[in-house]
Amino acid sequence: MGFFDKEKKDQSKSSTPSTSQTTESNENHPLKTSLQDNIKTVKDTLGASSDIVIREIRIGKGGVLKAALMYTDGLSDTVAIQNFILESLMLDIKHTEIESELIHNPRLMKTLKDFAMTVGEIKDVTKFDELFLHLLSGDVILLVDGYSEGLNIGNRRWAERGVTESTTQTVIRGPREAFSENIRINTSLVRRKIRDPQLWMETKTIGKRTKTNIAVMYINGVANDKIVEEVRLRLDRIDIDAILESGNIEELIQDAPMSTFPTVYNSERPDVVAAAILEGRVAIFIDGTPFVLTVPALFVQFFQSSEDYYQRADLTSLVRILRFFSFGIALLAPALFIAATTFHHEMIPTSLVINLAAQREGVPFPAFIEALIMEATFEILREASLRMPRAIGSAMAIVGAFVIGTAAVEAGMISAAMVIVVSITAIASFVSPTYDMAFSVRILRFVFMGLAASFGLFGITVGLIALVLHLCSLRSFGIPYMYPIAPFNMEGQKDTFIRLPLWKIFTRPHLISQENIDRQQNPTSAMPEPEKEQ
Amino acid sequence: MKRGIFILLILCIVLTGCWNRRELNELAITLAMGLDKIDDEYVVSAQVVVPSEVSMKGGKGTTPVTLIQGRGETVYEAIRKMTKSSSRKVYPGHLRMLVISESLASEGIGHPIDLISRDWELRSDFYVAIAKDSTAEEILNVLTPLETIPANKMFNTLKVSEENWAATVGITLDQLITDLISNGKEAVLTGIIVTGKQELGSSTENVITVTPSAKIKVDDLAVFKGDKLVGWLTEDESRGYSGITNHVKNTVGTISCPGGGRASLEVLSFKSKVKGKVKNGSPEADINVKIAANVGEIECSIDISKAESVEALEKLYEKAVKVTINDSITSVQEKYETDIFGFGNAIHRSYPNEWKTLKNQWNQHFTEMKVNIKVDVKILKTGTVNNSVVESRKD
Repeated sequence: MGFFDKEKKDQSKSSTPSTSQTTESNENHPLKTSLQDNIKTVKDTLGASSDIVIREIRIGKGGVLKAALMYTDGLSDTVAIQNFILESLMLDIKHTEIESELIHNPRLMKTLKDFAMTVGEIKDVTKFDELFLHLLSGDVILLVDGYSEGLNIGNRRWAERGVTESTTQTVIRGPREAFSENIRINTSLVRRKIRDPQLWMETKTIGKRTKTNIAVMYINGVANDKIVEEVRLRLDRIDIDAILESGNIEELIQDAPMSTFPTVYNSERPDVVAAAILEGRVAIFIDGTPFVLTVPALFVQFFQSSEDYYQRADLTSLVRILRFFSFGIALLAPALFIAATTFHHEMIPTSLVINLAAQREGVPFPAFIEALIMEATFEILREASLRMPRAIGSAMAIVGAFVIGTAAVEAGMISAAMVIVVSITAIASFVSPTYDMAFSVRILRFVFMGLAASFGLFGITVGLIALVLHLCSLRSFGIPYMYPIAPFNMEGQKDTFIRLPLWKIFTRPHLISQENIDRQQNPTSAMPEPEKEQ
Repeated sequence: MKRGIFILLILCIVLTGCWNRRELNELAITLAMGLDKIDDEYVVSAQVVVPSEVSMKGGKGTTPVTLIQGRGETVYEAIRKMTKSSSRKVYPGHLRMLVISESLASEGIGHPIDLISRDWELRSDFYVAIAKDSTAEEILNVLTPLETIPANKMFNTLKVSEENWAATVGITLDQLITDLISNGKEAVLTGIIVTGKQELGSSTENVITVTPSAKIKVDDLAVFKGDKLVGWLTEDESRGYSGITNHVKNTVGTISCPGGGRASLEVLSFKSKVKGKVKNGSPEADINVKIAANVGEIECSIDISKAESVEALEKLYEKAVKVTINDSITSVQEKYETDIFGFGNAIHRSYPNEWKTLKNQWNQHFTEMKVNIKVDVKILKTGTVNNSVVESRKD
């Protein structure tokens, strides 16, 4: 204990609280009239950070007016400052007589705004907190001596990744583009797909220090008002210093934080988000991340890929069933294997049971421990391959495959059948089109393995009943998680385990958009029929 | 409080100690079991698989099965006593064959199979057979080629033979028990014999020669009266039995041609129906047989391309089947006086009231009852040639 105490003391000694305390108190103050005072406040508050550029200039004939331009180097477009702001201020109005009565007249700022500045986005700034927010967002601030208001000139430009191909949700058929880190680009990608005036966007700033921009997007009249209101409410309730990724928001607004199942959907594909919005869901964009959240999120949604709607319906139906099947395998395969080989030998066909027994000869561990070792090895391999530099990846794949596959079996430590079971489980867990569902399966698999090892099939059954109860008790923003399976909805079955052709799906998911559910107005004429020749 | 209950539940899972968990390599997987009785004690033999020997990797060249034996006053005791000589506990869940010695069967099988039918670990879909002229142990002591595990060999031989040869009837435990319980039908069981040099059968040398020294063969049917073995049917009588009880799936019927020589028919479908009747207080049975067959083989001078000769063959076979069935019935009526054909059940179904009085003296009635047989044969195809090679050359 003593050691930690000492460390704490050292820390408090080394920090310098004197400056940080004064700066925070300045933030809500209105701007002062004296330019020098304002500059001093800015400098004090920002701690003379080297990327803050404060350029003091004189404008008007004879330089009667002292002014200052402030911007953050790296976040602002310096070329534009040169060409459109400095030039306008210093050259174009150099010879303009600024009449004496205009000096110290509130109209001066308006004149500058309306006549001098040749830029698009411009706003008044009267308070320091506004000033800092815009300054640190990459805007240019113009302060003039003698005025307690400044101009905020929109001039953001910084280095960023462009729109690139999606890496987390790849498709064969469908748009390739993915969201990037810029919220404005992200919202534009969706707006480009839905040119509906009813596509509304609300923006918020969350995070006391990061002041992250957040946009809530939905189609007015299609999205359920109650859900939109709930989203607003939950976002407003967030009181945190930093939002760095949509995962932070997700954790703070999700319905069941203790459940392994995700109740918020995320995607980095604009077409997926656009489709969700069109179904009446609400999208939450977070600046600085390519992952956009959509709510409410339902269980079946995590088994749907955007490609399902771009390729043939019959193929999609087959693939969907396959996904649910693989979900079952990923969840239960090791558990069922353990249960069958340790409790229910009579359930295995005779020739297989002899084969399995032959493989187990000399294996020192019980099946459960064997499965645990293999699963743990696989999880370690997976985690390692995720975080390591790509160049070493192939080397590790060889070691992993060799250790997991051949060597363990040949050494007689693991039976070959167990390797097969663990492999098929691993492969099946990758079938899920969303990462989040695969995660929850990963955790629950171990629970089921434990149940199988202690109670056999009985344990698995009890576990499954508990799982179903849990899933049915979940809600995502007021919508039952298992909809349209429970509560059952016939119309919803058209796009759950199978997908019917588009000319058979007339409505949006009923519970999500309760107000406007029609997708096709004249369903009878929906089926495409070739015109018969006379 | 809530947390306490939760922890208690978790502990329940952890502290169960995995109850009756058994790893695959802790089991002695028993595929065949033999019941003998020596000096008033049961001797139970279990044919246990040696997994490493039957694995794909190939074993060390030892025998694929081993025999574990136990003696005891009851079957259960004998089975438990096996652990004295075995490192693993016998696991009979995958039992395929139960072999009972002829001498034990003559004393009665009702008591020894009680455990077998009562124990939950055993299924009831394995075959039960009688070791003819030998002990059960001797049967289980023979290694077989083709199928490395002798129990599988017996099981599959019975299954394949039952489907393709009329005289073989496989009886599973549940069928046996149904017959033992029923008043109107007595039990039969398949016989199984070892031929050749029995003493060489248990060594791997038995399976490295083309013709094994000792062979296991499925034989004719054993006839029971109550739970006691009373005798054996001949092959023809066995055919008659399976004909009456509708056990024939596919078989070959051989007939003698009018002008000498023989012909074989491949029986494709064989349907028989037994209907019981009571006429003037005495029971009767009508057997209605419908057969569809193809010409399989002609070894006589008959012009098969003519419709009359096909009809003649049909008539001949009808007669042959009728004779087989009739002989089988009269033989059983005279020799064993036990209704293995289930005529009693047929009468029970159609005349339940009369059956109430008949059933008390049923075996007596059975020996005196009249059986009417009607056989209808239809030949569908004559194969890929018309007349036989010999016949064609004469023209």
